[in-house]
Amino acid sequence: MSAARSAFSCITRIAREEWRALFRDRAAVAGLLLLTVLMLVAAMTAHEHQRNADAERTRYQVQANHEFEAQPDRHPHRMVHYGHFLFRPLNPLAAFDPGIDGFTGNTLFLEGHRQNSANFGDVRQTSLLLRFGQLTPAFVLQVLAPLLLVFFGHAAVARERESGTLRVLLAQGVRSREVVLGKLLALAGFAGLALLPALAALAWFAAAGHAPWPLATVLAAGYAAWLLLWVLGVVLVSMCVARGRDALLVLLAAWAVIVILLPRWVPDMANTAVALPTRFEDAIHVQREYLALGDSHDPNDPKFAAFRDRLLKQYGVARVEDLPVNFKGVVGMEGERKSSDLFNRYAAAAFDRQERQAEIIDAFGWASPALALRRLSMTAAGTDLASYRSFLEQGERYRYALIQGLNRLQAEKLAYADDIDRSKENRVSREHWQGFPAFRYEPAPLADTLRRAAPAGATLALWLTALGALAWLLAGRLGRAVR
Amino acid sequence: MSRLTFELRLIVRSRLSIAALLLLLLLSTLAVWSGMQEVERQRQTIARLAPLHEQDVAALAARYPASKDAGNPAYYTFYNTWDAPSDAAFLALGLRDVAPYVLRIRALGLQAQLYEGETFNPEIALPGRFDFAFVLIYLAPLIAIALLHDLVSGERQAGRLRLLLAMPDAARLWRRRVALRYALLFACLAVPACAGAVLSGTGVVALVIVLAVVLILIAAYLAFWTGLSMVVSARGWRSVTNATTLMGTWAVLTLVLPALANVALVRAIPVHQGVDLMLAQRQTVHGAWEVPRDETMRKFVASHPEWRDKAHVPPGFHWKWYFAFHQVGDESVAGQVRDYREGLLARQAWTGRLGWLLPGVGAQAVLHRLADTDLPAQLAYQDEIAAFHRRIRAFYYPYLFNERPFGTEDFGKRPAFAPRAADPLVPWGDVFAVFVLAGVVLGAGLVGLRRLRVEGAD
Repeated sequence: MSAARSAFSCITRIAREEWRALFRDRAAVAGLLLLTVLMLVAAMTAHEHQRNADAERTRYQVQANHEFEAQPDRHPHRMVHYGHFLFRPLNPLAAFDPGIDGFTGNTLFLEGHRQNSANFGDVRQTSLLLRFGQLTPAFVLQVLAPLLLVFFGHAAVARERESGTLRVLLAQGVRSREVVLGKLLALAGFAGLALLPALAALAWFAAAGHAPWPLATVLAAGYAAWLLLWVLGVVLVSMCVARGRDALLVLLAAWAVIVILLPRWVPDMANTAVALPTRFEDAIHVQREYLALGDSHDPNDPKFAAFRDRLLKQYGVARVEDLPVNFKGVVGMEGERKSSDLFNRYAAAAFDRQERQAEIIDAFGWASPALALRRLSMTAAGTDLASYRSFLEQGERYRYALIQGLNRLQAEKLAYADDIDRSKENRVSREHWQGFPAFRYEPAPLADTLRRAAPAGATLALWLTALGALAWLLAGRLGRAVR
Repeated sequence: MSRLTFELRLIVRSRLSIAALLLLLLLSTLAVWSGMQEVERQRQTIARLAPLHEQDVAALAARYPASKDAGNPAYYTFYNTWDAPSDAAFLALGLRDVAPYVLRIRALGLQAQLYEGETFNPEIALPGRFDFAFVLIYLAPLIAIALLHDLVSGERQAGRLRLLLAMPDAARLWRRRVALRYALLFACLAVPACAGAVLSGTGVVALVIVLAVVLILIAAYLAFWTGLSMVVSARGWRSVTNATTLMGTWAVLTLVLPALANVALVRAIPVHQGVDLMLAQRQTVHGAWEVPRDETMRKFVASHPEWRDKAHVPPGFHWKWYFAFHQVGDESVAGQVRDYREGLLARQAWTGRLGWLLPGVGAQAVLHRLADTDLPAQLAYQDEIAAFHRRIRAFYYPYLFNERPFGTEDFGKRPAFAPRAADPLVPWGDVFAVFVLAGVVLGAGLVGLRRLRVEGAD
């Protein structure tokens, strides 16, 4: 018991000394302050951008909803082509990690017989500056914070060895593991200070009700693990390399590869490995299959003959004119059903291919934990591909319900005889447009998000365990090497 | 010369330096190769789509062998447009991964078709491409720093500094050492880039221009980082401090300041008119069904006076009115389209100006302009599409307004897209700016090393 206590006090004393050394170094303090300021600037601008973007999209959504409802009395099929606009709302945690938000369109036009792409993403509306990275809390923690730890931690053990104090310490009966633990504790404290503003921002976010606590916690844990990983790595290299400057070069090289090179290279490889078809050729293939389905605007299209016969039999009548519903509207519904199945098939295939690319990238998490961290961060912030896909799929469900609702109006409110008379103006009351519910985006269920973030979390944990075990093992040998 | 070989032998003996240089050579070769692969893939895609598109039109021609007017053919016929990558595109792929380089349009309202997105994986686009621009702008400075940060301090720590400074040609010694490292770095970047340019170049003039700009740019950008390393080296700090300072500067210049600038730029020049013009265009196009037809035709004739005498629309649906209101819809948002483009170009212009201060941004802007893959290139493609759209409409209007029948042979007369001739518009001003900035820093570095001699002699 007392042995453990003395070991503990020894570790804290070493940590305290290391802290004192760190804070005597004016560059370290300046670096920490700079990082904190950057973090605060990033958090504020990202938060403001998130709020503005969300307010703007909400305003556009209200405007679009209003314009839809304000349409005059007209033929329901006119409304099918008038369509509707949806604006992708921005998840509150996007203020922490905007993820792919700048790269996806956020304006979705819904119309009959078509599935459109989401347009007006930021990336096509900015100069190439966006490609240098966005200044967000996630960027500061992912890219800059490890660099800070490398700069000011690389000499932690190497310095003691170079100056010979390590030998003195060990001769005085301090265990080598205690030295290393002390250094780890000191650097972890330093990392904690760097992380503090982000943790405070996340806590404020959750406390103010902008984001659920579990997701904020996942983000906090993920970034804490990321920085801890660097703390372990930095001390480990500092332990193994003879001179401080070699440790610095090794660590800078590792940082450049893990944080800068691999996160670009791996996605590029995945993009080559799984090719995506262009929208152009998908459109041609879709169009070809769509035409094969028959023209739902034409009630006499032979492709719909079987459907017509089934309908006639169901109602027990001989002619479409005798049906209690408007046959044109019913054919429109059947056509929309078939074509939507077709569009959904292509859309799902495109997304599945993108998910295969993502799987390749995720598999490289063992080579660069930065990839795992990015996955965890984007997933928890709701700004990853899966969230985007979910928005598009919800938009498609809304589109389908809307179009079929309009087709049903045509089927039930307009007589077939009037409808096929081109010289006649057929309109239904505008009240019907007002009856359609507005689109509501449902964020993914919490459990779902957590499940998707789990593999990346596991990768980070594995990295932590491996580095921790290695540090423990080599720390034990450190004493032998010096003696 | 023997001194140079001696220095070279010193470098070769330092395993770290040689590893760093080989890594740079490997990465830039890889980047050039993968850029060329990507350009080839895009060319193949364009080539693959042309026959597919022809089949599509042929099927349509078979479906409408004889129309009494051009309405149905005009409504259903799509036209393929493409934006082939330039010979230098492999250097910097730019926006080509997120903006479409193939787009189908038809005679309906252009503004509803022009902003169509391409299928791409945003998670892959997010970190940016691994291309030559990336290696040059982000990675080359890191290698330069690794090679040069202990130029002076390494000698001091080895105890040789006083001896070296006491030598009669000490200043020349530093210059020789720096020049040699600079030359090796330059070769590692220039050789793959030139090989790539030669392999993908088609025209001699274009090739010469591309090579000249790329070499100037590599030379200037490396000179900036070499100069900065010398400035820091001459301060007389320890190697570790030098490395920390240089890496910190690198992070600020290539990561932090451009990101901050992006925030500032997006705030200063808001561009959301894209959505506005889309909403406004839809209102006009779909509202047209409720507007008296004569009014729509009056608006149409105002910009198309040649159809004044044929603008009367009989009762019932008529295609000429349908296509006219699509055109009127486009014209109604012309002002917003102009504002939108001006906003985008203003952002681009400010980025260019930023490049005068931030060498990374400047080099990026020059490379992407040379490669013709930046925002202006994308806008130029949109301009081409707009011009082609005018030709398409001009092709159908005589059929529609003169009520001429449209048959299978008329499909053969339809206009074909002629892509713009890619001539590299070199932003000599920006190249010059990078060059001047690099020259200033390099000069400061040389002066610093010369001072070192004076102080050392004291």
